Formats: sequence, C-alpha cells, structure tokens
Amino acid sequence: METTEWELIRKCQKGEVAAYEELAAKYYRRVFMVILGMVHHRDDAMEVAQETFYRAFKNIRRFKGGSNFYTWVYRIAVNLAIDFQRRQKRSLMDLKENMDEVVVDAETSSGDPFREINDRRLGEKLLHAINELTPDHKAVIVMRAVEGLSYKEIGRIMECSEGTIMSRLHYARKKLQEKLGTDL
Amino acid sequence: MRDCEAIKKSLGAWLDGELDAAQAAEIQLHVQGCASCSDEKGRLERLDFSLKRLLETNASQIDFKTFWAGVSQRIAADVSWSTRAMDWVRAVFFTPRLKWAVSATVVVLVAVLSLDQFFPGWRGNGQTNMASVESIDGHGFNVALLREAKTKTTVIWLFENQESEDETPTESASGDTAF
Ligand SMILES: [Zn+2]
Repeated sequence: METTEWELIRKCQKGEVAAYEELAAKYYRRVFMVILGMVHHRDDAMEVAQETFYRAFKNIRRFKGGSNFYTWVYRIAVNLAIDFQRRQKRSLMDLKENMDEVVVDAETSSGDPFREINDRRLGEKLLHAINELTPDHKAVIVMRAVEGLSYKEIGRIMECSEGTIMSRLHYARKKLQEKLGTDL
Repeated sequence: MRDCEAIKKSLGAWLDGELDAAQAAEIQLHVQGCASCSDEKGRLERLDFSLKRLLETNASQIDFKTFWAGVSQRIAADVSWSTRAMDWVRAVFFTPRLKWAVSATVVVLVAVLSLDQFFPGWRGNGQTNMASVESIDGHGFNVALLREAKTKTTVIWLFENQESEDETPTESASGDTAF
C-alpha cells in the first residue's frame, strides 16, 4: 500500500473526516460501479454506496492494513449489496423503468449513432441477463469484469476459495452468453 | 491434448490470467488454430467489455459532491448521536456520582463513629468514644461538623450546595471575573 494512503487511513482512524473525504474521492466511482452491477437501480446503488463509505469510516479502526483498502471496502459494499437485494423485491415494472434509465445514460456518451443503437440493445439485454443471476454470481462477474480483480482478491472479499470463484465466474459468463445470444 | 469443450471451460480463467504458464500456452496454441474457440474467446472479451463500459459510463455521471453529501450526513448524524449519548452518560453518572460520593463519605463517617453508641467497646478498649455531627446549610455551601470527645478531634466538612451549583453555573463564573 502507498505510504500516503496509509497515512490517510491513520488519520481516519483518529476520526479525521477530511482525510476520509480524500480516500472516498479516490474510490467512490469504483465502489459505485460494483454496486450498480449488483443492484441495477442507480438511486439504490447510490444509497448502498453511501452507506458503504459510512460503515467503512465507522469501522476503520478495524482495518489493519493487511489487504488493500479498496478490497476491504469492497467486502462491505458486496455484503451490503447482497443484503439489499435480498430485502428488495422490486416489481418488474420498476425494473424495466430503471434499466431504461441506466442504458439511456450509457448511450449518450457515445458519438456514433449506429453504435448507440447496438449499445442500447446490448446494454438492455445485459442488465436483464445480469439481474437473473444470483447475488453471489453478480458479485464475482462485476468485480472481475469491471475491476479486473484477481480470483484471490475476489475470494478474500467473498470469503470463499479461488476454485469457487473460478466456477462461479464460469457459470455467470455462460448464463450471460446464453441470454445475450447473437447480440454479443 | 484437450478437446474444444475442455478448452472453452478454461477460456475465462485463461483470459483472466489465472492459469499457470503450461496451461496458458496450451490454450493459446489451441485458440490460434481453432475458429470455434477463437470465436468463443471473442464473445467472452466482448461480454466483459460491454459490462465494464455500461457500468463505467453510469458511474462517471455521479459527481463526488453529491456522493459525499450523503456520506458526511450519515457521519455527522452518527457523531451527534454519540455526542448526545456521552452527554447523557456524563449527566446521569458522572456529576451526581461526585456529589453522592461526598454525601456518602459523610454518612459512612457518621455511621462508623456512631458505632460506639450501639456497640460500646467494639474497638476493644472498653472506653466510650462519643462523636457528634452537626450540619449547617450555608449560602451555596453545606457545612458538616464532626466532633469527637475522646481524641478532641474536630473535622469541618465543607461542600457545595447541589441546588445552588446546578442553577447558577454562569452566575458564579461571571462573579469571579467581576473581582
Ligand atoms: Zn477449439
């Protein structure tokens, strides 16, 4: 771990909120991405991500520096996102609405109209497909695809073996490929 | 040599860089010469890329100020809650405990010194050792006077009046500066 990051963490452990703001600024997007991949609705993802950073600050004295700070935060994020999904029983209508919102926003960043149509169709299908995975499968595919974390790191976050991560990833990718068919 | 089915099962782990050198070399060689597995490799890469792009684009629209506002609000609410809890603990236990400790000390002293009245000679010398306690309420102070005849000891106990202290903390402070 970089010295400066460790210094920031030590300050946070003394209760310095300003130091924590710096740390949060560095990681909030990465954490938000992982959560969005798991809960799909942007407002929900925002809530869970904010709660994640609040809980991380509250428990930062427990962080001993044995792992990277972001993998420690991911563990909190993934657990909260899994809990959230179990509690939340969103209606199909609600789900459709939020997917449109996410995909439309993804589309606006592209400058190519032809690609936008394909991206939109693929994005919609992708979100539908991911939503049908179990929370554990969502977590591994998102952490691997988005963050490029190693199986060892994901295993540490999910508290299971690298072999389990490998088989979960294989299953998740297979399911997604089946759902996406020729769009991929 | 593994067949296409076995190779396809390991393609994900290979792309993730999770296979050892020998396995990775075997897969690479196979993919180079097999259209079906090469196609599967491309599909896997597009899957990860599309997912990453979709989530990254959405995350890039979240500005830090808005995000941090929600986090700092939670922290502030937590801090004010714990501050209130500490104030409560102090109010309930700390201050009155001091006052009660003073009063309790007086009571215990009186009780110990009065023992001779009920159990003469408990100290073993057979002599009566009478002690008397008087209490005077002063202006903002209480005074307890303990007199023991045998040793001709007088203890004067001066302690602040609880009610006066609770009611006029600012008055006494301003009074001090006036002098
Ligand atoms: Zn093949």
